[in-house]
Amino acid sequence: MAAKAKSIAQVAMGLEPGPFHDRLVDQNRQQSWVNWMGYASPSVLDNVEFEYFAIRNQSTLFDISPMCKYAITGPDAETVLNRLVTRDIRKLKPGRVAYCIWCDEDGNVVDDGTVFRLSDTEFRLCCQEPQLSWLEDIAWGFDVAIHDVTRDIAGLALQGPTSCALLKDLGLASIETLKTFGIAEYEISGAAVTISRTGFTGDLGYELWIKPADALTVWDALMDAGKLRGLRVIGYEALEMARIEAGFLLPKIDFLSAQTVLRPDRANTPYELGFEWLVALDKPHFNGRRALVDLSKQTPRRKLVAIEIERDKPAHNALVYHRKTREVGQVTSALWSPTCKRNIAYAWLDAPYGQSVTDDLWVEIYLQKEIRWQRRMARCQLVAKPFFVHPRRSATPPADF
Amino acid sequence: MSARYDAIIIGAGHNGLVAAAVLARKGKTVLVLEARDHVGGMLGDASFRVAPLPYALRPEIARVLQLDQKRLHGAKPVETLAFGSDGPPLRIIGGHVTGTDAITEHDYATLHARLGRQAQALGVMMLQSPPGLSKASLGEMAGLAKMALKMRLLGKTEMRDLLRIILSNAWDLLNDEIGDGPLAGVLAMDATLGGAMGPRSPGTVLTLLYRMASQSTHGHGLRVMPEGGPGALVKALSDCVTSAGGEIRTGAPVAKILVDQDKATGVRLQSGEEIAAATVFSNASPKVTLMTLLGVEHLDGEFVRRCRNMASKGMVSRLDFDVAEMPSLTSGGKIEHGQRLVFAPTMQVIETSFNAAKYGDMPERPVFEATYDATAKRLCVSAQFTPHDLTGGWTDEAKSKLANSVMAVLEEALPGIASAVTASRVMSPVDIETGYGASGGHWHHGELRVDQLLMLRPFDGAAQYRMPVKGLYLCGAGAHPGGDISGAPGFNAARTALRDGGN
Repeated sequence: MAAKAKSIAQVAMGLEPGPFHDRLVDQNRQQSWVNWMGYASPSVLDNVEFEYFAIRNQSTLFDISPMCKYAITGPDAETVLNRLVTRDIRKLKPGRVAYCIWCDEDGNVVDDGTVFRLSDTEFRLCCQEPQLSWLEDIAWGFDVAIHDVTRDIAGLALQGPTSCALLKDLGLASIETLKTFGIAEYEISGAAVTISRTGFTGDLGYELWIKPADALTVWDALMDAGKLRGLRVIGYEALEMARIEAGFLLPKIDFLSAQTVLRPDRANTPYELGFEWLVALDKPHFNGRRALVDLSKQTPRRKLVAIEIERDKPAHNALVYHRKTREVGQVTSALWSPTCKRNIAYAWLDAPYGQSVTDDLWVEIYLQKEIRWQRRMARCQLVAKPFFVHPRRSATPPADF
Repeated sequence: MSARYDAIIIGAGHNGLVAAAVLARKGKTVLVLEARDHVGGMLGDASFRVAPLPYALRPEIARVLQLDQKRLHGAKPVETLAFGSDGPPLRIIGGHVTGTDAITEHDYATLHARLGRQAQALGVMMLQSPPGLSKASLGEMAGLAKMALKMRLLGKTEMRDLLRIILSNAWDLLNDEIGDGPLAGVLAMDATLGGAMGPRSPGTVLTLLYRMASQSTHGHGLRVMPEGGPGALVKALSDCVTSAGGEIRTGAPVAKILVDQDKATGVRLQSGEEIAAATVFSNASPKVTLMTLLGVEHLDGEFVRRCRNMASKGMVSRLDFDVAEMPSLTSGGKIEHGQRLVFAPTMQVIETSFNAAKYGDMPERPVFEATYDATAKRLCVSAQFTPHDLTGGWTDEAKSKLANSVMAVLEEALPGIASAVTASRVMSPVDIETGYGASGGHWHHGELRVDQLLMLRPFDGAAQYRMPVKGLYLCGAGAHPGGDISGAPGFNAARTALRDGGN
């Protein structure tokens, strides 16, 4: 059974098995795979609701090995990182992680990701899209080495309220003292594991970074320890629900990288995306700074906003109207949030809507009821991100479950 | 830090001097800093000039700077001798050629006049700042509109002809109009000299037109040697700077352009001395200016990439031969002082010579132009297609090999010259690069080709003289409209800065 399923993933889809593939195949009762950077990644293993609720109530494992990872090391590593991203990396201490964006020369966002500072001169960048040529352009002329380590590091996201307790069960001393965005080194079943308290769920959780050769050993240890902690393997769809609640944006869904757009006006600035808090205009020159200085003085031509919609039908692909008549924007991600019990979405609104004009906004939702389509105008309101906030995400030490 | 100078100009090449003169005459305090011990840049070293041949200083600039125009432009245009594979050389002045048949004479005159009219239409942009690609000012667009109007005024037939040929190659055009031979060889040399392109390369008609767009009181495309030689031009320009109150310091190489709060604040010399200024102009090539003097840390990654990828592979070596007694031509008669001698018997020979250089090799038979300086008893040769990235490097051996191959060609036309040579010197593109701040050793600081002209010169995003760091301007041949000793980049840069009013 397992061998046959593996061949489906590898041969029929032309996808590469990741470091945890043998275990994922066993778990993937739906045999539903998606292509994530050439890897076979599960979209749903058995039931998206069970997987989602495990994120919020138990613990979950998600294979994040396909994420692009770059090692940036050398005497000028800090300078190069600071030149790349819009945040002030000089303030990032060794053993800490920062969520960052980076921009092109026009001030449009190229991608977002997390910067791990492993030491004074060693960094790791994790992001969605391949960035090697971009990094090499930014680093040109500096004393720094850049290596694509995507295939050299296996990653597991262990997320959920019981995740800390699970790691404690494995004997990870003082894991409960690891603060949000902190990094620490541990050993699980004899395998070296770098653990960062990071994640894409907005919940208590960790990301584990392992040598691919040790991947299955660590997986088995976690699954073993997770039996009493409700540990469940999840796929992309459950994570997608959690990330919308958690207020995270997804490239290609909510916005496009400036590197991939064909129409120049489709690229987005940090100010349009609500990322102004990530832009440190007062630090030395970084990519796009001059454009961003100008943009920071202007009203964004549109804005990505979080909205809450009345009633319960998710507003997938919906248009947004002002006074039910004037089309002013559209929804990119939508969800009936099972935890918040709110109908939530992200939407692009053209200026001045979503900025100076925020009332009388409506979402046009399409419903299919037994073949017939219905159109429903639902009132929506701008709300603050994230939709889901829980003190356990950042509590140190986290409560025991 | 209170600014001591309104402007510092890095490099006392002719463009730097023109820029300094324009600014000084507007009452700005200027300081020109020159790394070498002489002013004039590639024109300036009397013992071994990079650019020994006649120049094309725009008459408008000479007028504005109130230079002695009679002295600079008064001499009669330089005569070109085009050496074929045998027989006496053709003698060419402008559109007039002698030594060939009547039909070719007529065809050549017609072609020269037509190209001249077309070149003049394009030449409207020479003293204009090119328009920006994203947002152009009204004034900038007016320049383009004027050029479009001039092109239209050529008449339907000639405008269509211009649009037909402008992106094509000199090979096809010249074969169609006058056929291959020494006459086509001269025009093809005009189209390719200094560049990494052969007559068959696309865009060589444009470079030919570019060269023909130069202006003098004698008409378009004609070069005039100023009374007193290149040194006289350099002196006229540097006198113009100093008489307007500007300072010039030689032997003062700049190590770094100083930046504070994203604004140029002066320079630091290699000696460690720091000099403050409200604006900094660089006459060095764009790559040297931006990547060495300014530093990539002040620039966006895409900008640096475009700068790095700018085509600037130098192809010209300079050779000087001291000749005790200039022998007679094989065909009889003597070489005269100041004549331009072109040794490119056919376009085929030029293209063959380029083939070797494309792959980093030295051509077996170089094509070159030469001029004889009777006062110094010196034959100055500019040998084409000697690549900057020569396989094996520019060793003394490579240089003497080049000198020998040039001498072999000269010997055919001037038998006995080899034995009359008392001394010789070779300056490779690498020497030009290190000696004159011209990356790649490129004469024009960057290839003159369609993707590096106008609003794309030196490259996209750097085209209006203003650099991303405020108060820093490019004023050298890397900027629009490019090289050719026209003075136009320096002139345009200074006027752009005056319009900005930052100083």
